[in-house]
Amino acid sequence: MTTALASSTHGAAEVKSARKARHMGWMFGTAWLVVLSFCALFANQLPFIRTYDAKVRVAGQAKQYGFGPGWTAWLGTDNSSHDVFARCIYGARQTLFIGIGATIIGLTVGGLLGVLGGYYRGWVDRAISIIVDCLLAMPALLLALLLIQRTDQIKETITALGWLTRTEEITITLGILAIAPFARIVRAQTLGLRERDFVLAARSLGAKSQRVIWREIMPNLVPAMVTVAVTGLGILIAAEGTLAFLGLGVARPQTWGTMIDAARDDLSKAWWATIFPCLFLFLTVLSFNFIGDHLARKFDIREAAV
Amino acid sequence: MAGTGKAHLRTEGDVLLRVEDLVVEFPVGRTGLKVNAVSGISLDVLRGETLGVVGESGCGKSTTGRAIMQLPRPTSGSVLFEGRQLTDMSGDDMREARTRMQMIFQDPISSLNPRRKVRDIVTEPLAIWKRGNSTEQRAKVDALLEEVGIDPQRAAESQPHQFSGGQCQRISIARSLVLEPTLIICDEPVSALDVSVQAQVLNLLEDLKAKHGLTLIFIAHDLAVVKNISDRVAVMYLGKICEVAPSDDLYRAPAHHYTSVLLDSIPVPDPSVAATKTAIEGEPPSPVLPPPGCRFHTRCPAATDVCRNEEPKLREIATAHFVACHHPLYGDDVPVSVA
Repeated sequence: MTTALASSTHGAAEVKSARKARHMGWMFGTAWLVVLSFCALFANQLPFIRTYDAKVRVAGQAKQYGFGPGWTAWLGTDNSSHDVFARCIYGARQTLFIGIGATIIGLTVGGLLGVLGGYYRGWVDRAISIIVDCLLAMPALLLALLLIQRTDQIKETITALGWLTRTEEITITLGILAIAPFARIVRAQTLGLRERDFVLAARSLGAKSQRVIWREIMPNLVPAMVTVAVTGLGILIAAEGTLAFLGLGVARPQTWGTMIDAARDDLSKAWWATIFPCLFLFLTVLSFNFIGDHLARKFDIREAAV
Repeated sequence: MAGTGKAHLRTEGDVLLRVEDLVVEFPVGRTGLKVNAVSGISLDVLRGETLGVVGESGCGKSTTGRAIMQLPRPTSGSVLFEGRQLTDMSGDDMREARTRMQMIFQDPISSLNPRRKVRDIVTEPLAIWKRGNSTEQRAKVDALLEEVGIDPQRAAESQPHQFSGGQCQRISIARSLVLEPTLIICDEPVSALDVSVQAQVLNLLEDLKAKHGLTLIFIAHDLAVVKNISDRVAVMYLGKICEVAPSDDLYRAPAHHYTSVLLDSIPVPDPSVAATKTAIEGEPPSPVLPPPGCRFHTRCPAATDVCRNEEPKLREIATAHFVACHHPLYGDDVPVSVA
């Protein structure tokens, strides 16, 4: 009796500490993202952030990696004596724009395909599943490289597409890559929802399919969509870093990936110029994962096909 | 049991719904096999009547209810409702016709969208059909909510999970009444509720039936519940009807062996009474490969060769009492002729 009691309290304590750890993770993630977004949004106004092009000079001279982390430049300076901290903040703008943009593209297109396939079943579902499976079957990285290089070529021949910046190219490419996983998850959720009695009730009341989808199914998809969107954001940001590392980054303003790519050869000379952008990337992806986990638990969503 | 035959269908009287040879089959994956959920049943309901449909889980009761609503459309058979043939109606006509009959579901929580406010859920039918302006809609919905015993004020600001199961079922009932239907198909409306709440909901249904001039099809597996509310009861087994009779006759003198076993299985709330006399043996056969002849012969105490080979037809053994059995428990003493 006593042993059972002891072990049960022990288990409860473990559960409690695990919950506390998760809660800490969520708190940390939110705090980091709030601070980062605030700095990124108001970078031009905040006094402690240098401008993107400001050089930190050593005795009036621009010097490669002139400062290590310290009071003058918090996170040191890079090879053209720019403030790494300021560049990380401006990089956050780019990175968050790409991540959020790609998620919106993926979620809109993928979500629509998923809902239609899951609700109508039959040939609609089969056609959509084939498209999704094809997208999933292709190696994501190769597809991204091909897409970006191809759009670069097209831009050279068709000048009408000149407005398309590299940032937007990357956003669209990553958005396309995000369609398939989002479509899968939304389809799985829709399949379950369409069998629920309230859908049958709506149909027996004479609601058309369009109305059933918008009024009955969509609102119930929101929790799952928010959760996968947040988790997906983390993955997409990491993917952007990978692309930049492979030389397909945004040259100006630099993303974290581009910064890492530019400074990594001098890692032994000036570790700070590589490590700090890495740290920003790492903490941001981690934060999105923490928040995603928290939401999944809160909405009780099983990790379906992520 | 077989339940082919239409001897029990009435020709006189104000027939609201007439179902003939209803068949519902579902394919089993891509095996080419199919589940024979409902295998050619016929039913009719007079205006103002309550028809009880009882049977074990999986015998096709709910499928019958849904097939009447054409959700999904039955494989074959005819459904004549208010003089109109539903089975070959176009999509839009069907949507409109469906509003004349409504359904109440077993799971009160699942039948209400968890992410909408209760009043919006009840207003939804009016919104779909754009009946009246928002003030009229609201007045009507509030009146109905009061009628089923839900505070409209609370309904306006609460979601379904904030109500109890019984209250949710009341909300479902209100929703089904908004469009002023003539027929309500109640698909085990009280099975998921506490016994005390069951009685309240049943009383509510009876009151509303009288007040709104409703006709009910009451599907349940609980015989005691059906007995009190129904005028006529149809007993189903494995997609077929085995017995149809006025409620009192059926309970007093069941003629089909299956009905008799079902009635015996009702627990008697008296500890001094010995437990069930004849418990039914075995499981119902698979509806994918239903047994030939009478579908009940595999478990029937009175089964003979004729039961294994010939499907019995529904025939009248007493006034308004129909049974599909070669060897009914009572009735004509004439030896059963296999015609």
